[in-house]
Amino acid sequence: MRSPFPIFDCHGHIGVHPDFPAYKQTPEEMLEVMDLLNMAVLAVTSSRACSTDCPRGNAEVNEVLRKNPQRFRGYITVNPRPQGEGIRELERWSHFHRPPLIKFHPDLHKYPINGDAYRPLWDFANQTHAVILVHTWDSDPNCGPLMFAPLGRCYPQARIILGHSGVTWRGYEQALETAQAAPNTYLDITGSQSHRGILERMVARVGADRVLFGSDMPYLEAAASLGRILAAKIVDDDKERILRSNFRNLIEEGE
Amino acid sequence: MLSASAIDPAFREVADWQIFDANVRLGHSGVYGELALETDVLLEEMDRFGVRQALVSHFACEEYDAQEGNNVLASEVNERLVPVWAALPEPAFIQELSARRPLAVRISYGVLKHNFSWAPWCAGELYEYLQAHSILTVIAREDLAWDSLAQLLETFPRLKVLLLETGYRADRYLFPLFKQHPDLYIDTSTYVAHRQLETFVDRFGPDHLLFGSRLPLYDAGAALAVLATARISDGAKLLIAGGTLRRLLGMGAQ
Repeated sequence: MRSPFPIFDCHGHIGVHPDFPAYKQTPEEMLEVMDLLNMAVLAVTSSRACSTDCPRGNAEVNEVLRKNPQRFRGYITVNPRPQGEGIRELERWSHFHRPPLIKFHPDLHKYPINGDAYRPLWDFANQTHAVILVHTWDSDPNCGPLMFAPLGRCYPQARIILGHSGVTWRGYEQALETAQAAPNTYLDITGSQSHRGILERMVARVGADRVLFGSDMPYLEAAASLGRILAAKIVDDDKERILRSNFRNLIEEGE
Repeated sequence: MLSASAIDPAFREVADWQIFDANVRLGHSGVYGELALETDVLLEEMDRFGVRQALVSHFACEEYDAQEGNNVLASEVNERLVPVWAALPEPAFIQELSARRPLAVRISYGVLKHNFSWAPWCAGELYEYLQAHSILTVIAREDLAWDSLAQLLETFPRLKVLLLETGYRADRYLFPLFKQHPDLYIDTSTYVAHRQLETFVDRFGPDHLLFGSRLPLYDAGAALAVLATARISDGAKLLIAGGTLRRLLGMGAQ
């Protein structure tokens, strides 16, 4: 089983995770899976940056991009605290990609996405037309999907990917509500919960153009996301958009 | 009989796998609303993925009443849907259960489900019966704490336990259990971490993994794609797809 189109994956990582063992997670071992599934490009964020240390984590991404610029794209992961570090990181690693790819993880960084300390980072993203991948989770007080409709309206030049689209069935409903209210928000299918019929519901309510393929590699098996797309009761053109064109176009706009 | 033309084209490579799904639920649900499927639609969904047979429990058993749910389940099963009967620890219930000549039962300890203790002082007679008759004992991970599961397996070492929906973050619990308990099995519906399935097979072989979709709540394409693309032998894939479950139930391939 293989994707009929070269996949552009909006949601990957570099590194390990504290609460479960990661297997065969080096970039070289991830490339084995990418080749198997016909994945052309994987955009990665550093797990170290999502947890404890953005400067060291972003340096890890820099190294991956230096070794394999064709297959990987790099998010600059920023934490709103300590204040000032985030802007420094965005400037330091500005060569990762243009427009910038930025990752926010308000859940692990324990700070609300609409809090004051995020404001300069949102301003930067808006000014640079950045693509921002934000971790979201059903009703999470720091990053519940419903928090993003006002942010989308406030920062209309930023392109906001709702990472995991809220994950649960209820979280997906919240993400869909936000996507309908804010046209600069996008739905990422990454997640361990493979709800039957949710892809069809996303396409029907916001259109296939705003649904993105994500795997969470090397945490989750990328084939699970691929299987969901291939099995979805949507037309082949929509599958192609989700697997390839949508994210490719999103990150190439403004290059 | 499953028709090859019913299979989704993306999944044609599994058409000959004789898939036996270890994790399917049936019937109307007050909790899951539109996700729940009645028998005819469920069978169509199984057809799309080449699933020939499935172990099925009934939502009515979990959400309403074990006895009532078993009666509804009895009216719905056929040669493709193999019943997983709800089990309670009362002696009279065990006697009624025995009359159904069960191949598999599901125990739902949860407070908002059948609400009883896993421990031998409460459910020991039930375990003795299941163990004596080699009946596959299905337990959802969310219904039993890890330490309780470990004690259950130590106390009843010949009980064949199928643990459903372990999640992908459970290997630090699962691996020590698999080193000690040869009659423990898990389904693959939520065992979906990166290269996790092949890592498991490398360490323990394929004989403890049973393909599970979690239909109708989950899309069967996810778990099936993970198995189809796993870097394990074809023989191992066939065992996981259904060979091992048929052996456990004493059934031949259809």
